[in-house]
Amino acid sequence: MSALIELTGITKVLKGQQEPRTILAGVNLTVQPGESVAIVGRSGSGKSTLLSVLGLFDRPDEGSYLLAGEDISRLPERKAAKLRSSHFGFVFQRFFLLKHLTAAQNVAMALVNGQGWLPRRERRARVLQALDQVGIAHLAKNRPARMSGGEQQRVAIARALVREPRVLLADEPTGALDTETGTAVIDALLGATERGCGLVLVTHDRDHAARMGRTLDLVDGVLTERVPA
Amino acid sequence: MRRLSGRLRSALIIGLQGIRARKMRTLLSMVSLFLGVLAVVVVQAGASIADKALLSDIELTSAVDGTTIINLQMQPKATGIVLDTLHERSDAVAMLGVQAIIGEPNVAPVNPGASPFDEDWGGGVVCYGNGPCQPADAQPKGQAVEVRLTAMTGDVRPFRPLRPRTGQWLDFTTVPAMAPRIVVNREAAKGFERYQVPAEMRIGGAAANVTPQFVGVVDDGDAQPRAYVRLDELTTWLPETGLADPNSGGEMQVLVSPGSPVEQVLTAKLKGIGAETWTETVDAKKQMESQLKLLRLVFLAMAGLVLLIGVAGILNVGLATVGERVEEFALRRAVGTPRMLLAGIVLAETLLTGLFTAAVAIGLSAAGLRAVSVLVGDSEPFLRDLQFPWEAGIAGIIAGLVAGLLGGFIPALRAAGIPIATVMRA
Repeated sequence: MSALIELTGITKVLKGQQEPRTILAGVNLTVQPGESVAIVGRSGSGKSTLLSVLGLFDRPDEGSYLLAGEDISRLPERKAAKLRSSHFGFVFQRFFLLKHLTAAQNVAMALVNGQGWLPRRERRARVLQALDQVGIAHLAKNRPARMSGGEQQRVAIARALVREPRVLLADEPTGALDTETGTAVIDALLGATERGCGLVLVTHDRDHAARMGRTLDLVDGVLTERVPA
Repeated sequence: MRRLSGRLRSALIIGLQGIRARKMRTLLSMVSLFLGVLAVVVVQAGASIADKALLSDIELTSAVDGTTIINLQMQPKATGIVLDTLHERSDAVAMLGVQAIIGEPNVAPVNPGASPFDEDWGGGVVCYGNGPCQPADAQPKGQAVEVRLTAMTGDVRPFRPLRPRTGQWLDFTTVPAMAPRIVVNREAAKGFERYQVPAEMRIGGAAANVTPQFVGVVDDGDAQPRAYVRLDELTTWLPETGLADPNSGGEMQVLVSPGSPVEQVLTAKLKGIGAETWTETVDAKKQMESQLKLLRLVFLAMAGLVLLIGVAGILNVGLATVGERVEEFALRRAVGTPRMLLAGIVLAETLLTGLFTAAVAIGLSAAGLRAVSVLVGDSEPFLRDLQFPWEAGIAGIIAGLVAGLLGGFIPALRAAGIPIATVMRA
């Protein structure tokens, strides 16, 4: 059975006005279905760039990227958008909720994205199910301004889960939260792995990283497995 | 197709959410666009109303577009041929005109020669029932009004839509009356209102004076006083040959529907007796269009310029809005929204804004037109009972959509080009 994600020799070089800078230098990474992986590293070490490549926001300069055995390293944008919708869920440090929409409408954003049309009743059911998974179904009609940081992040997680993705990519999702709320958010993310979803978490928080199945260090563009102490 | 429909619905849903979230901006866009769309609607409405008013005037004085008019040289035999040919036909009608004086006998009319009452054409001829015609000057002036009396073989209104003013129009389905029923035009009505005359009608060549029954007043666009009568009610008193007598000021005209064989048959028969005919087909629309085309183009060009200013307003607001929504669009791309749909969302917003503006402009124009019709309709007859022309509504909707499309195009391109990594760097 093939791995959910298999990166081999991924290289990414930033070509700015100054000299080209290698951000990822031959990264290898394998994630199995239901597995959780934490990626840690200093600021500017390339964690977010790696997540961009994983989420098809960006293309690698070299190397191969297999998703469930299929090479998606050089996908055209149209197909990449379709895969982002069907296979990936994203959670960011800033929640990126639209303030003029309710929690339910923010979650529904991932369903009303031009990748297939769901009738309103089915859409509503899936949105409420996703909000229920993260324990805030009762806040469905609230706007972000009337919710706490932790509740907003849960709405963002529900938005990532509503299409039942195969991979969940989280970029420092607890960065703007206190410890207790952060722990609850990590619980919600790990809940998704129990349903077979792969989780890649970029974090600075060693406690949260320790709760993942594996922890990887990104140093000078190279990913190395951290051996548990 | 299904995918397109899904994207269209998505664009509309998200576009409406965007409009609701930014009501003030939408309002500002609408304000900037309003004058342009209004100008297009007003120009189109004005042109349509002018078209209809002109066409209606031409139809009133000449005939409905496409009608063939045959003017005949007066000959005693010609009347018989015309009446035989048109017998029980509804696709053609003949109008035979003679002079008639209504009022005191043996006096000269107040308007010799059936001249309009506020003009004096001078001269004129007075004819008695059984006697010769004499110059009007030879008679003492009295209480009598001279009219052109038009006798019809059938209802002329399908060919010339005379506008009823008061009373009723002639009924051609009843048995002919001994006292001919007449409908007068507005100029004749003015005369009968001004001069109290006895109801006795003298017609050149008639066996006796007759007592007419006045049944109504119509607007026929004619400046001369005129009366309309059923031919079969007149021929009781006046032989057909009398109707064709050039000495009694006779005139004859046949109006024929498009495609009717009457024209060919009648022309051939009349040629057989050596009567000359002059045939023309009414082509008012074409003639009128060429006259109005340039004027309409000039006004539309001016409206287009005002609309362009509105487009610039939408463009300005659209670019500012996209600049503010960079994160939203990047996030939408992150959750799988294709670039095309992002562009579609922005276009949906500007198109909906254009449509809303068009609806407001059309509504206000229709209300304004109604108000003008009510307030000024009495003094300006062509403004009475005006309906808002549907062409102006269509033009307004098209103007709103085109403005929305032009104003939203560049913001849409910009939205589609927002890099997805924006959300990662935030």
